[in-house]
Amino acid sequence: MYVEYADFPYLSTILLSCVAGLLVILFLPRERTREIKWVSAIFSGITLIISLYLFVAYDKGQAGFQFAEKIDWVPSLGITYFNAVDGFSMPMLLLTGIVFFTGVLTMWELENRVKEFFALTFLLVTGVFGLFMGLDLFFIFVWYDVSLFPMYLLIAVWGSTRKEYAAMKLTLYLLAGSALILPAIVYLVVTAGLGSFDLLALTEPNLFTADQQKFAFLLLYIGFGILAGVWPFHTWSPVGHVAAPTAVSMIHAGVLMKIGAFGVLRLGMYMCPEGWQYWAPLMALLAVVGIVYGVFVGLQQTDLKYVIGYSSVSHMGIVGLGLATVSVDGLNGAVFQMFAHGVMTALFFSAVGYIYDRTHTKAIAELGGLSRAMPVASGYFILAALTGVGVPCLASFWAELMVFISAFKVYPLYGTLAVCALVVSALFMLRVVQRACYGPENHRFSGLEDVSFRLGLPRMILAGVIVLFGLFPSLMFDMIRTASLPFVAGLP
Amino acid sequence: MTFSPMTETSLLAAVCCSVLPLVAFAVVMIGTRNRRRLSAGISIGAVGVSLLCSVFLLVRHWHADEPLRFVGTWLISGEITVPIGVLLDPTSLLMLVVVAGICFLVQVYSLGYMAGDPGFTRYYAFMSLFAWAMISLTLSPTLLQLYVFWELVGLSSYLLIGFWYEKFSASEAGKKAFVMTRLGDVAFLLGLLVVLVEFGNLDILELNSLAPLQRMDPAVITLSALLIFGGIVGKSAQFPLLTWLPDAMEGPTPVSALLHSATMVAAGVFLFARIFPFFRLSSTAMTVFLLIGTVSMLLSSTMAMVARDIKQVWAYSTVSQLGFMIMGLAAGSFFSGVFHLTTHAGFKALLFLCSGVFIHAFGTNDMFEIGRRGGRGLHIPMVCMVIAAAALSGIPPLSGFFSKEAILGALAELDNPVWLAAGLLGAFLTAYYTFRLLFIVLFPRRQEPEGDGDGKDGGHGAHDPHAHRQEYRAMAGPLLVLAAVTLVLGFAHGPLERFLHFEGAAAGGHGPHWLLYAALGLASAGVALAYLEFGLPGAAQVGFVERMPALKKLFAERWYLDRMYRWLLDRIVYGMVSRACSFNDRKVIDGGLDGLSRGTIASGRRLSSLHGEMIQYRILVVFAVVALLVLHFFLQ
Amino acid sequence: MSIVPYSHVMTLATLLFVMGVVCLVARRNLIMMLLGLEILLNAASIAFVGASLRWQHMDGQALALFIMAVAAAEVSVGLALIVAVFRRTGSVDPEVLEPEPSTRQR
Repeated sequence: MYVEYADFPYLSTILLSCVAGLLVILFLPRERTREIKWVSAIFSGITLIISLYLFVAYDKGQAGFQFAEKIDWVPSLGITYFNAVDGFSMPMLLLTGIVFFTGVLTMWELENRVKEFFALTFLLVTGVFGLFMGLDLFFIFVWYDVSLFPMYLLIAVWGSTRKEYAAMKLTLYLLAGSALILPAIVYLVVTAGLGSFDLLALTEPNLFTADQQKFAFLLLYIGFGILAGVWPFHTWSPVGHVAAPTAVSMIHAGVLMKIGAFGVLRLGMYMCPEGWQYWAPLMALLAVVGIVYGVFVGLQQTDLKYVIGYSSVSHMGIVGLGLATVSVDGLNGAVFQMFAHGVMTALFFSAVGYIYDRTHTKAIAELGGLSRAMPVASGYFILAALTGVGVPCLASFWAELMVFISAFKVYPLYGTLAVCALVVSALFMLRVVQRACYGPENHRFSGLEDVSFRLGLPRMILAGVIVLFGLFPSLMFDMIRTASLPFVAGLP
Repeated sequence: MTFSPMTETSLLAAVCCSVLPLVAFAVVMIGTRNRRRLSAGISIGAVGVSLLCSVFLLVRHWHADEPLRFVGTWLISGEITVPIGVLLDPTSLLMLVVVAGICFLVQVYSLGYMAGDPGFTRYYAFMSLFAWAMISLTLSPTLLQLYVFWELVGLSSYLLIGFWYEKFSASEAGKKAFVMTRLGDVAFLLGLLVVLVEFGNLDILELNSLAPLQRMDPAVITLSALLIFGGIVGKSAQFPLLTWLPDAMEGPTPVSALLHSATMVAAGVFLFARIFPFFRLSSTAMTVFLLIGTVSMLLSSTMAMVARDIKQVWAYSTVSQLGFMIMGLAAGSFFSGVFHLTTHAGFKALLFLCSGVFIHAFGTNDMFEIGRRGGRGLHIPMVCMVIAAAALSGIPPLSGFFSKEAILGALAELDNPVWLAAGLLGAFLTAYYTFRLLFIVLFPRRQEPEGDGDGKDGGHGAHDPHAHRQEYRAMAGPLLVLAAVTLVLGFAHGPLERFLHFEGAAAGGHGPHWLLYAALGLASAGVALAYLEFGLPGAAQVGFVERMPALKKLFAERWYLDRMYRWLLDRIVYGMVSRACSFNDRKVIDGGLDGLSRGTIASGRRLSSLHGEMIQYRILVVFAVVALLVLHFFLQ
Repeated sequence: MSIVPYSHVMTLATLLFVMGVVCLVARRNLIMMLLGLEILLNAASIAFVGASLRWQHMDGQALALFIMAVAAAEVSVGLALIVAVFRRTGSVDPEVLEPEPSTRQR
């Protein structure tokens, strides 16, 4: 596989700026909350700028891995520090940068244990960045766990609504996932007998027999699938979304769930292509069940964040369906959907977080008339809802379209069901918008101030990204295609 | 395709035409939300330029033989390429002018109607969005692009119908419109997927050639045609998805005017006309379309006969006229359907705008109330409304007469006389309910008892009709323009027919002469019956339908369609599926997991009692276990 | 080779170990328990030294030195803890460290 080494370690700079941010925050006194916030904003801004630069500088004419950097770490065990990005991971990197930066800005009003919060967030994001750019199985696993543990504290300390239960459930679920991933990684590394954890070395064809691939892929699929919210392993995610504080919900739904799907793609599908093709019908079935099931459960919810949580289940089902089609279009759609959904849920949670901070309620029945009290905030909410409904010229439409088309070709029945779920998804999203935002002016909220420019900045960025990639989807598709075309062409 | 200066100018004009309203939307939404006059100016200016461009294009391509097609790529993904472009052929050009024209007039009218509304700038932003979506829809060269804008049209009408979101009924109506049309759109999308998979692309010109016959199985053609027609049923509010349209009048009246004439519902019929040759490849599908058109036409006419709400009557009439268009198209006459679409756009917009003036002036939607409060005192709207209503009823020499005649002629050419009979019955009913409304407004009765649909507020307080001269003038201008169009458009029958004529299209139907007289006679009969019941001094103003309570209830309840949907939604979707899924989520999955973890904890506790109590006892257990392990390993 | 046979050394170590265990488990005095712990460690050291002699390998002696150091550290920490416990409760009975049965988690 083509690997182009970088003349400057951009990827490590991203990781280092996360770590540097973490250290600076740790050394600041806890009372200086203003400085802590500024430091967080600056360092997360650096990661965003670098990932944006990489996104632009990525050579789309040249498929394969770029900006690579490789250092031997533990040579006796074959562990290397190996980072690179390709068309699949580049969108994820950009997504992480966007969500991280906007998430930090969203928490500008945080008062409670500011230092610890931002330190843990930085730790979490370090793991996420590392995982998306890592090409060494050992490091991927380490980064995976690094990104899981801060989650527990972030939810258990700063959360709301049954936070201990949610934090515990989430952690147990995700550890169960990692308990499946670790054996799979060890199994593959040992079976290959290369004495190396290098992912690219392990993707060489004919390294594993079909049966080995089937076994390992299943482990990886379920392990990462738990994180991706695959039905029926999804129940941690709505609960976790609801309990987590705003920025954590954003990172959690926006980025962390993508780790799951990305892990299935990068580890499972890259190393076990035959296993992937063997299990694809199962993946498609679970994905479609998730799509339909998510919207129907969403109809019954009374909590704003639960609604978003179940819509995430449904939208991640679309990712799963795209991956299950074993086609270029399906993969493109799936990766684009990961990106679009990440930005969309981030906007969703950001808007809901703003509303919750002001009104102190997430119960749909108690809201209402928000459009009169805070038109801008509810405008962002409505925009996110419309993206979720799949309105054209907003990012996720294109992803869904691609997935539907390719799914319809491979699995006509599943494709039809997934398309039909669009009606119910419209129904439940608009129901929430109507109950929460519309209706007569609510006097309890009349004194509340609308989003100011500074607090509106993160929402503006997210909304801008949604519209930009909705109007010019080729920006993203051209990127993803550089990875998906050779990958599918090289399938056995 | 070669780029000559000629085509380049056309392309530029077309792009301007479609993109300018979007720019206006963005500018108003982002920049000038707090500047009311400026926002309205930008929006009207943009759509005005669009109108000029479209007229320019129409004039320029009036004699063009070949459709002009410009296509670029929007995105490429593996096997799928989504093109974006512009298709200029007679159908799209005609529709383009109609859409831009009505959008422009409605926006000018709204200057008066929406004056003083707190959401004034938002209104203009959404109007621009609507104009962008619809104009781009008409220009789409592929069905996929058409679908994109089709959805955007749905979105903008959702936003505009629910414009007065503080009213529950308005937001409910917006939601209903969106979800019900979504239901159709899903069928449309599935149809597109079938075509895409079987045929390989969605280019309209290619679909309209004979290529599908060679590459697709006839059964698949029928299937995809029916599925695509599902989208038309949703958008154009045909049976069984027709109930969203009457509710959609919850939006501001100019929105209804736009929605009912040139944009939302017209998109459905436009789609039919757009891929008319493709649809015609399947005669089974055409028969189904004919049936659905007929049923919707008759059903909604009956509903209109008992409505008290002035806008509701026009809404039902829209459904029935759309049914007429679909009948005409499905009968194989391309021209009659498109012609009726064009004329209908004019007079239906006029009807709504006139009603808007009344509603604005009196603050009520109830026709009896408007009549009592002196509706005929407003001369311009009253005269315009009479003209439009006469056109709707098919009275010569107004535009509606010619187009309806063309449809009836097409129906007469069918083998089965049932369709023609249904069409004639529809013409009669149309004339009856239209003039029922007119007579009620024109000849008010003092002793009219308070009715059920009374006092429905149009979202505005009552205005003194003479207090707002300026608003009134802004509203009157578009009325006069539209009335003039309605008066003369019928005579453009011939040129339009030549313009729209393309190879393979059946000539517009000209029925036998007796048909002309029959249609005229039935329309006059409808008017006469309405006059007898509502117009004559001393008539009771109770229609013959209203004398039969069972029938009245059936019609007023919209044949219980809404009840059925409500029941389906409440019982099946919410009550069964959704609840079952939630139950499964809470009890089965989560319950199972919680049970599992509780079990783990409980068994841990039980085991922990093994080394409970004193610390030394626990140490003993440790040593005992180690000793046992040692024994086990060393004695093996 | 050596005066004391390897088996004797191991027997001594085993005996010491058993004594230590008994002391640790049976005495109801924290200090005596700590003593038992020390005896356990010593038993291990003796086994190590004996084994080092048997195989002529220095690792065993090195470990014995390690154990001494660890034991010293452990005793000092352990005694300090016992003193602290005694100050708080006035007793060196290990029973006093048990939580009350009522407060124990069910």
